[in-house]
Amino acid sequence: MSLRARRFAWALGATIIVVGALLAPALAQPFGLHGAAAPQPSGFTGWILAEQARFYRMLSHLIREAKANGSAAYTLLGISFIYGIFHAAGPGHGKAVISSYLVANDETWRRGIVLSFASAVLQSLTAIVIVGIAAVLLGATAKMMGDTVRVIETVSYALIVLIGLRLLWVKGRSFLQLLLPPEAHAHAHTHAHDDHRDHAHGQAHAHHDHGHAHHHHEDEASAWGHAHAPEPQELKGPHWLKRGLAAIVAVGLRPCSGAIIVLVFALAQGLFWIGVASTFVMGLGTAITVAAVATMAVGARGFAGRIAKSKPGAGLLIVRGLETAAAFAIILFGAALLTGYMASERMGMF
Amino acid sequence: MIPFRMNVSLRILLAAVVSLAAVAPAAAHPHVWIKATSELLYAPDGSVTGIRQHWVFDDMYSAFAVQGLASKEKGKFTRAELAPLATVNMKEMKESGYFTFVTADGTKAPFADALPDYGLDYKNEMLTLSFTLPFKQPVKARDITVELYDPTYFIAFELEKQAPVHLVGAPEQCKLAIEWPREMTYALGKQLSNNPEAATNFGAYFANKITVKCP
Repeated sequence: MSLRARRFAWALGATIIVVGALLAPALAQPFGLHGAAAPQPSGFTGWILAEQARFYRMLSHLIREAKANGSAAYTLLGISFIYGIFHAAGPGHGKAVISSYLVANDETWRRGIVLSFASAVLQSLTAIVIVGIAAVLLGATAKMMGDTVRVIETVSYALIVLIGLRLLWVKGRSFLQLLLPPEAHAHAHTHAHDDHRDHAHGQAHAHHDHGHAHHHHEDEASAWGHAHAPEPQELKGPHWLKRGLAAIVAVGLRPCSGAIIVLVFALAQGLFWIGVASTFVMGLGTAITVAAVATMAVGARGFAGRIAKSKPGAGLLIVRGLETAAAFAIILFGAALLTGYMASERMGMF
Repeated sequence: MIPFRMNVSLRILLAAVVSLAAVAPAAAHPHVWIKATSELLYAPDGSVTGIRQHWVFDDMYSAFAVQGLASKEKGKFTRAELAPLATVNMKEMKESGYFTFVTADGTKAPFADALPDYGLDYKNEMLTLSFTLPFKQPVKARDITVELYDPTYFIAFELEKQAPVHLVGAPEQCKLAIEWPREMTYALGKQLSNNPEAATNFGAYFANKITVKCP
């Protein structure tokens, strides 16, 4: 019992530290991290802010030029692409939510790239659909479009919270089951050789145990031996793309303010299609950045997972704890966005 | 209780999540650019009663703002046709304190609501918003500082290069000094990233500063 209590206290503390580390800077700091928490490429974010503002301003000149000179359209697409890369590297919750989602769900980097591109394409599409329907077809005003975006963003932030809650339910439960040893927990999930768990062997130990061939087999099936929490496959549920759809929508639903302004400006210049092309290319740039960040996150998680694996029992606990923390982070990102505590880009008159 | 290896893994996990967090900051880059001219309005007794602002919006945002507005002549908008938009602007700006921050001898000088003489003009495909901000109490001070910025940096304000500030009816001895916003550079980014206060008031680092000293 005292072991249980200590384990619980330790894990709770670790979870709080992880969630805190994940969120505090995101909520309080426009420039990433400060203080001793972690080294950060200093000034990088500031530089990104400067560069993206510069590229954004170039867009209006190039759209005007494209009217008279067709080759300016190619330059416009090039600049849109670079702007997309820089813009996504700057402020924004998309990267954070996608990355946390990948960590919580233990997805592969390939899937991370697909999710990043899908959400960026969706984001371009929403901007084009809003301007296409509202401005081109209905002749709506900027205020009406701003109001539309506000409704959409509320839905998408709520969706982020829901995704986080669902992950927390699945991962957090599994984490707690691991954490609190079974004497108090009568799960339906009990295996025939429960006694094994109490020895808290490592996987390596099991491999030496040639006498129990079927145990060996069992160990492989349950990845890390003796932990009787839901298996990774159970935790994941439906097909990964179906599962990821909610994340794609939650991140991609809210259009970029810049894209909407660019589209309306292009429309005013009689070059709506050039604006559409520019928006898609911007999305491509965004996708590259988000995919790069997501890949790093998956890599870091994989690395942590491999190290944790060498420490049976505790290792799985850490992995589930990390996933639980990531789920927490998603909830808090969504809640912070919903309440306006963490500002996304504005989209009204002011 | 905690084995050494676990500490190592924990550290790696922390590094992993921290690297995620580092890419989720909460500021924006400007989407609107405003070229500003300000008039400080003086009463005969030497106090400042208010500030009159003229703000010219960039062409891209102007096109966005007039989208869908009805006008008699295509591509042209009269003050009357732009009146509803101006009203929306003024109403929404009130919450942001009209992006104008004044201190008189070191204490804040609050504005009352903008006067109803505000309006938008459309010229060369650009909008100009003009409005008068009266102080709650006329301000009499030796040292008046007016700062112009959007704390969230969604709007980048910049005073016009030529004659951006007029002292209307000011005593002759008053001296005017103007500071334009600094440019965002790598070095400034580095400096700001080490300053936690920059988080809540980011735009203030790109303020325009008007100082009037009267003996």
